[in-house]
Amino acid sequence: MLTYILRRLLYMIPVMFIISILVFLTIQLPPGDPITKMIENQRLQQGRVFSEKDIEMMQARFGYGDPLPVQYTKWIGNIVLRGDFGYSFYKREEAGKVIADLMPLTIAISLGSFIFTWIVALPIGVLSAVRQYSIADYVFTFIGFIGLAIPNFLLALILLVLGLTTFHTSFTGLFSSAEIQQAPWSLAKVWDLLKHAWVPMVVIGTGGTAGLIRIMRANLLDELHKPYVETARAKGLSEMRLLVKYPLRHAMNPFVSGFAYLLPYLVAGEAIVAIVMNLPTEGPTLLNSLLNLDVYLGGGILLLISFMTLISTLLSDILLAWLDPRIRYGN
Amino acid sequence: MADTLIDVKDLRIHFFTDEGVVRAVGGVDLAITRGKTLALVGESGCGKSVACRALLNIVHRPGKIVSGEIIFHRMFHQSSGSGSDASVDIAELNPKGREIRDIRGKEIAMIFQEPMTSFSSMYTIGNQIMENILLHTNLSKQEARILTIELLDKVGIPKPSRLIDEYPFRLSGGMRQRAMIAMALSCSPTLLIADEPTTALDVTTQANILDLMQNLQKQYEMTLLFITHDLGVVAEIADEVAVMYLGKIIEKSDVFTLFNSPAHPYTQALLKSVPKIAMTREALDPIKGMVPNPYSRPSGCPFHPRCPKAFAACKTIVPKTTSLGLHHTVQCLLYEDVTERQATEALS
Amino acid sequence: MTTEAKNEAQDISEEGGVDLAAEIPVMGEAAERFAMAPQWQLMWWKFRRHRLALVSLVVIIILYTVAIFAGFFAPKSADPTELQTPSYTPPGYAHQTEYINAPPMPIHWIDNGTFAPYVYAFKKTRDPKTLVETFVATDTKIRLGFFVPGDRYTVGFSSVPVCPPEWSENAICKLIDPVLGFVKTLAFTADIHLFGPINPEDPFYPAGADDVGRDVFSRLIYASQVSLSVGLVGVFLSLLLGIFLGGLSGLVGGWVDNLIQRTIEVLRAIPDIPLWMALAIAMPPRLDPVYVYFGVTIILSLLRWTDLARVVRGKFLSLREDDFVTAAELDGVPRGRIIMRHMVPSFMSHIIAQMTLSIPGMILGESALSFLGVGLRPPVVSWGVMLNKAIDVVVVINKPWLLLPGLAIFVTILAFNFLGDGLRDAADPYHV
Repeated sequence: MLTYILRRLLYMIPVMFIISILVFLTIQLPPGDPITKMIENQRLQQGRVFSEKDIEMMQARFGYGDPLPVQYTKWIGNIVLRGDFGYSFYKREEAGKVIADLMPLTIAISLGSFIFTWIVALPIGVLSAVRQYSIADYVFTFIGFIGLAIPNFLLALILLVLGLTTFHTSFTGLFSSAEIQQAPWSLAKVWDLLKHAWVPMVVIGTGGTAGLIRIMRANLLDELHKPYVETARAKGLSEMRLLVKYPLRHAMNPFVSGFAYLLPYLVAGEAIVAIVMNLPTEGPTLLNSLLNLDVYLGGGILLLISFMTLISTLLSDILLAWLDPRIRYGN
Repeated sequence: MADTLIDVKDLRIHFFTDEGVVRAVGGVDLAITRGKTLALVGESGCGKSVACRALLNIVHRPGKIVSGEIIFHRMFHQSSGSGSDASVDIAELNPKGREIRDIRGKEIAMIFQEPMTSFSSMYTIGNQIMENILLHTNLSKQEARILTIELLDKVGIPKPSRLIDEYPFRLSGGMRQRAMIAMALSCSPTLLIADEPTTALDVTTQANILDLMQNLQKQYEMTLLFITHDLGVVAEIADEVAVMYLGKIIEKSDVFTLFNSPAHPYTQALLKSVPKIAMTREALDPIKGMVPNPYSRPSGCPFHPRCPKAFAACKTIVPKTTSLGLHHTVQCLLYEDVTERQATEALS
Repeated sequence: MTTEAKNEAQDISEEGGVDLAAEIPVMGEAAERFAMAPQWQLMWWKFRRHRLALVSLVVIIILYTVAIFAGFFAPKSADPTELQTPSYTPPGYAHQTEYINAPPMPIHWIDNGTFAPYVYAFKKTRDPKTLVETFVATDTKIRLGFFVPGDRYTVGFSSVPVCPPEWSENAICKLIDPVLGFVKTLAFTADIHLFGPINPEDPFYPAGADDVGRDVFSRLIYASQVSLSVGLVGVFLSLLLGIFLGGLSGLVGGWVDNLIQRTIEVLRAIPDIPLWMALAIAMPPRLDPVYVYFGVTIILSLLRWTDLARVVRGKFLSLREDDFVTAAELDGVPRGRIIMRHMVPSFMSHIIAQMTLSIPGMILGESALSFLGVGLRPPVVSWGVMLNKAIDVVVVINKPWLLLPGLAIFVTILAFNFLGDGLRDAADPYHV
């Protein structure tokens, strides 16, 4: 098991390397040199003129003006060795600090929607499979299809409108006021967060939940008639214990490996829902940084999001190996 | 009959599919004698597997026991002081209820065809065998484990104390089938149903498993219901044979009578289609035609389209069970007074 | 027990077998036909049992028909400024500026007991206290009719000539020329609309107006051309990539398989929307709309071919071991022929089902990007571009009709999901 985890960890390194190159190329794609543009902006807006020395310093730090491979090496080297994500010209702050401020809430919201998705999808999927073609099955299947068909940004908009018109509360943001958002963490702040966070979590999780219900139902239906279930039934196990110990356990397999792909899906959904709901997470910041050619911030966020999803893939693989002895024995 | 363990009367199991109703088991009468081995023989798809699962009241959707009785004459238990009449109609029990679950795995155990997929690959074989013991006895986990190791040893698994913690996919097919037998025997059942237990194994393993089962049957004084399509296996293991064709038992007798003087044309054809050692080289005689489509059963005698001895009446009249001697019955119009049947049916 | 069973038998036959029973009176015949039917016939039987899929197929056919003949089905043109050439000003927007942000006009079908559809013209008033502009219906009736003349529109590809000049010697062109000489391109121009005001200059806003006074309903119909085709073009591109790379992976195996599999894993680990955002922003801002359209489509398919590739690879891997392929190999059938004649047809149905299920993702992706303002941009009109106007909650509260493109997306995706589900079930006709 340990060697398996180590192997998976080692295997992450080349993947992360490829992703970092992809991200670097992506942020280099827009026409125009971001640093020249930044120098120009600073001059126009604030009348601040960079001295030769400043520009030399920037060259040393970002490799500005160097060929692309050198720039890439400096960029990734700074991130890996020093945790230095570069400078956000748009926010006028260290990119690393901006990202560090955003990430905890981003992770919290993504995890929250993840948990929501599982808690809802698992029992409903099981119920739909065990009571196939029952009224409950039809109802949930139908709701699931509707959940899949509503774009989550639209769902977010509709909820925002409903909140304002019917409930007279605003679902935007994660906190009641800007003061609370700035305040240091306290019990009151967490409570305030929870009061607001459930809406985006539900919105982000809806599509994933619908998909997961269908996966669970299909998998369990496949397993319910396997010979090993018959063997267990012939032992005289009660239907409930039988279901939980045998077909459900087997059906969990694709379900768990599905979560490797669920997290990227949720993070992607989070990005767009956050923009609509104006959440203080990475989504809106990423969009703005990309629109403003704020390459180091944008690149850093893209890199971290990809890293997060790689970690989730790793976790799901480990969970799979722990669940399924066949994987542990490398069959 | 005092020594009948299970008495199946007019059992009918139908499958209600979208394409139509399949009469998988269409009126089966079968008595299994206590302590004997009954072989149920038939081509694939004749309903033998469905019928034997019904003995445990396991019938899958869209299948359903439509009518009939499965009377199980249980051994009298000294410990349970419940009334002297211990027989029970399994077909009437709630398939998910307590009563049938107490019978399954304890009094009637089953061995399946596919040793590959009949164990769950998620748990060790020890776990899955002990589960049966813990379910039906008051033994502690420790005692169950010791018993399991003993059982594994008894069925010929080497190093049982180590292999008990192995996962099924790490064992060979023969070993898995042995483990499956150990599991079935774990609560000393009165009836052991074996659904083609050797079909998926190679010939040497097959022979070993058959020997093992015969020995264990004597040791445990079990009744054995052996489902197979292999007449060689039947000759080796059975006391009595029932031949099934399209959901009906068309002939039943003791094993010697069946092999020496088969009555039903189907049985005769079946025996002819088997190669024999020490026979002069001659072409095998396969049965003409194919097993009919399950949705469209032939009218009259189900075998008439393939029967070499069929005559006009076979197309319309469903043969009744006719007794040809002690313990020898057949369903064929050749042995019935057809004119009398036609007369009585015309009257009614 | 017997009666219970009979009841259930009846229930089941009523549940699943209605159309079969109607079609096949005798069970024996049914079985015979079931056993003998060609595969596509079985698929059709099985597909037809999936009612929702059947309805969805009809819905999708309607949607695409409306998209192809958008000019005919839309009462007005999508964007008058687009059409304004020195020679032609569309009459449909004569009252454009008076109807900025106008709400939907309810259509009255019956006038004085006869069928004579009409709407009331709107008048803009300003609340003297709050100074808020509102529209009130006046007494003026705007008569509506079917097959009315209106803005001129083009259906088809006006840039594709039927008989280019260099083909003038072509036999077919010579044959066509005297009869259909006026057909110069693969398109036709007309001004008859299915439904609209009898006077082409009259205002008609069945689904309200946007912030420059354009008809939301007409724009919705024109937008379907882009939104619905993005899905098809995107899936087609992913299909090419997916079949090629998935097939390579499954057939060649070894390090090729390994490389492609790792690539797929990397691509699947990247959350799509952030990457799409980055790539869409990276497109040159002053690009021709046609290139933006294909740019966005390519971006969408860059991440989505992986699903198809996985299906194709899995099928090739499992089929490679299948007996009928081995049999063909032993018969000495050339490899290319085995692939094209034996393997591909046996999983084509799965590919079609998977494609149908991939289209919603493309449509969702396009609308999300355009909604955020980084995908397609005006003057291109797609459902996402239209929704971009509704990005602000306050706007939506005041002008809820701007969310209508969302409804269109919802219906389309629902239909494709149902259809894909039905196709997937039907693709395995022998699986109960």
